[in-house]
Amino acid sequence: MSDKEDPQPEGRKEASAGLIQYSPENLVPFGPVHPALKEPEYFKLILEGEKIIEVIPRIGYVHRGIERAAQERTWIKNIYLFERICGICSFAHSLAYVQAVEGILQFEVPRRARYIRVLVAELERIHSHMLWLGLVGYWTGFDTLFMWIWKDREHVLDLVEAITGNRIHKSYSTISGVRRDLPENIADPVKKEMAYIQQRAKYYKDLVSSEETLISRTKGVGRIDADLAKKLCPVGPLLRCTGIARDVRIEDPYAAYDELIPEIKTSTEGDIASLLALRIDEVNESCRLVLEAIEKIPSGPVKLTAPRSVPKGESMFHVEAPRGELFYYVRSPGGIAPERVKIRTPTMANILTATAMLKGHTLADVPVVLTGMDPCFGCMDRVSVFEVDKQKEWSVLGEELRQYGIKYYKERRAG
Amino acid sequence: MDVLQVVEILVFPGLTFFVWLAFVFDWLDRKTAARMQGRVGPLVAGPHGILQPVADFFKLTTKEEIVPEYSDKLVFEWGPPLFFAAPAVGTIFIPVISLSAIISNPYDLLFILFVLAFSTLMAAMLGYASAGRYSTIAIGRLVVQYTGFEVPLIISIVTPAILAKSLSIEGIVGAQSGYWFVFIAPISFGVFIIAALAELEKAPFDIPSAKTEIVAGWMTEFSGEALAYIKLTKNLSYVFLSALGASLFLGGSNGPILTHIPILQDLLFSSYFLVKLFAVGFLIFAIRTALARIRIEQATRVFWTILTPLSLLQLSIVIALR
Amino acid sequence: MSKETGSSRKEIGGAMGEMFRIAMERPITKQYPFGPPEFAERFRGKLDVDPVKCTGCGVCEVVCPATVIRMVSTGKRKVGTREIETKRPIFDLYTCISCGQCVDDCRFGALELTHEFELATVDKNSLIMDKALKSVR
Repeated sequence: MSDKEDPQPEGRKEASAGLIQYSPENLVPFGPVHPALKEPEYFKLILEGEKIIEVIPRIGYVHRGIERAAQERTWIKNIYLFERICGICSFAHSLAYVQAVEGILQFEVPRRARYIRVLVAELERIHSHMLWLGLVGYWTGFDTLFMWIWKDREHVLDLVEAITGNRIHKSYSTISGVRRDLPENIADPVKKEMAYIQQRAKYYKDLVSSEETLISRTKGVGRIDADLAKKLCPVGPLLRCTGIARDVRIEDPYAAYDELIPEIKTSTEGDIASLLALRIDEVNESCRLVLEAIEKIPSGPVKLTAPRSVPKGESMFHVEAPRGELFYYVRSPGGIAPERVKIRTPTMANILTATAMLKGHTLADVPVVLTGMDPCFGCMDRVSVFEVDKQKEWSVLGEELRQYGIKYYKERRAG
Repeated sequence: MDVLQVVEILVFPGLTFFVWLAFVFDWLDRKTAARMQGRVGPLVAGPHGILQPVADFFKLTTKEEIVPEYSDKLVFEWGPPLFFAAPAVGTIFIPVISLSAIISNPYDLLFILFVLAFSTLMAAMLGYASAGRYSTIAIGRLVVQYTGFEVPLIISIVTPAILAKSLSIEGIVGAQSGYWFVFIAPISFGVFIIAALAELEKAPFDIPSAKTEIVAGWMTEFSGEALAYIKLTKNLSYVFLSALGASLFLGGSNGPILTHIPILQDLLFSSYFLVKLFAVGFLIFAIRTALARIRIEQATRVFWTILTPLSLLQLSIVIALR
Repeated sequence: MSKETGSSRKEIGGAMGEMFRIAMERPITKQYPFGPPEFAERFRGKLDVDPVKCTGCGVCEVVCPATVIRMVSTGKRKVGTREIETKRPIFDLYTCISCGQCVDDCRFGALELTHEFELATVDKNSLIMDKALKSVR
């Protein structure tokens, strides 16, 4: 193995070494810093010529210990902490967290606030999907598509800024509602921009299904079928592109999704081309939902007064983030800060599928397939070590980690 | 060789003029691509950012040059000037200010073919000399791509030579007084443009320097002055191939002679040449903006199953017409 | 080189027309350092405090998620028979995330988020705001 200095538990190292035999010449490093990746993550690609034999992901480069940090902060402060897990789906993170806390408090959120939550969440889905669609252009060398879609994404971001006060870190949710009411006269710009986005989405759908150089890079690439998807349990668009219609918004409606019912879009091919079509469809569907929400929005308060401390109890909540099911578990000891917050992000669920999709493809397909799941490594890197030999998952406590570090550096100094 | 000829080779219309054109092409390429993508492109250096490529070049020359430990030092350090020499020498054979080039012999088209092959060979040598993982993969791709586009490129270059019954560019340019060869051999012109895209590593054939896959391709390990010269060379090749296309298919500096005053005549011929040069250049960067990168095996398939038969078809039509 | 396969249209260079149309349009790029910055009415920028309205209650220190606000003692004040310590906030704006939670929770309306956003500096101490402190002395 080329990385002797890799600080991994011995069991894992042996197990991963037992998976495949390769010589260092066949290893092409993909990351941690690579033009195709927005965030640092390391994939060892074992190649034979241009063909990929094995992909070994090595996660943890942007681990920031957020779950531990959350235990030191109050309920309100944590909203802003969890937003910073991921920039793109910041609202989904804060939404899942505040709804979990509202679950412990057994709060009935005002109806207008629930509508506004749907509105902002769908705007976020549009801009997240457009980010990915543009990046597909970038990964396949189609810079023009990249620039165009990001140019149109600016329209959505401007709307988000007008509503929440910031483009990315919205800081808009709070326990018991949303922090501010919608600005006055927002309906007209929302309708105008949504009509524009729908019109552009139609054009892009036409373009990606007719431009042959793009089709040649995406059709049949990174194909997974429904059986494999059921084994590997991906979430979000990666699952829906295999024809399995699963969506938290329908199955377990939160916010106002019981009144504003989205239509689940699926496609059957399971390759990158169908992911492209699927995400464009979802952008269209989200536009429709935003328009419906702005039409039907009731009047009333947007937040209640939330208490500073939360009674003892525990709660789980999942939302459909743009990338898939985002899961929050919150346990309260009865006080001003949570005892434990556990987050399962969509990228964590999707990473195995993405590596499975890669096998048998060429190096040229790596960027587009690996990122077909719309990875967010900032989301993914939680403290969680998977031991292949013991088949159990355990989380590392601070002290354990410190002891491990001391042991590791002692051993390194010794030999 | 007299003093005037030395000035012609080194200053105008030789090396300095073409290097200047290379900078202008780089700027035009970036600016038009930016406008087509809804951006503004270079903006600050000079009016509308026209000095940006020059600024980039001089900035790179002042940067530290890092030589990888396992690289072949000789090739790594002396390769970039040689790589630069290839298109620089090639430009001398292209008529700019009159119907005759600075240096001309009856067989200079063969020399041009050598120059094109040499520039790919130098790229391959530079990539191997730097001994990087990404460079090695890129060189594999470059060579595979080269075997693909070489044949259609040569056939499409030979077609106007057959039409003009001459192997010198001067002769070919002179033979296009009545009509341009692009009207007789349009397929050859198309094949030439596509092969030029491959030679220049532009989309859809930017496979050897695909940045999202293999970082910067065979240029990954280069830095500082060497990188500055490699980038300048790529732009110079861009100008050179556009000039070649303009000369072989669009008549180059040939056009209606409106005046017989020597200076004005020179200006007239060079403006004919420049208009055609920018037209071909614009065609290349419009194509590269509109397309996605394809995979190496798809590129090879395009060259061998579509372009080579097409260019052979055009060649046989031309021979039959003659 | 376009060919028809099945019902759907396939072509190479289908983006050309749109490309030239967009080239004629105004670019999306905002001329930021050369032109005025554009932002929404609600844009959350640098925090500002009104020293007159601030009573030094310290709620903002408690709610701030980024530990921007420190309360420092400015002296003693007599209320009836008891002596109460008076406090005023110092804002270490270099850690501020502009979330606006302190603005929400300030009962006296002493805090607001301005539209100022050009906060890059070589000296982080220049971002320490002690306006509220100075007004007392």
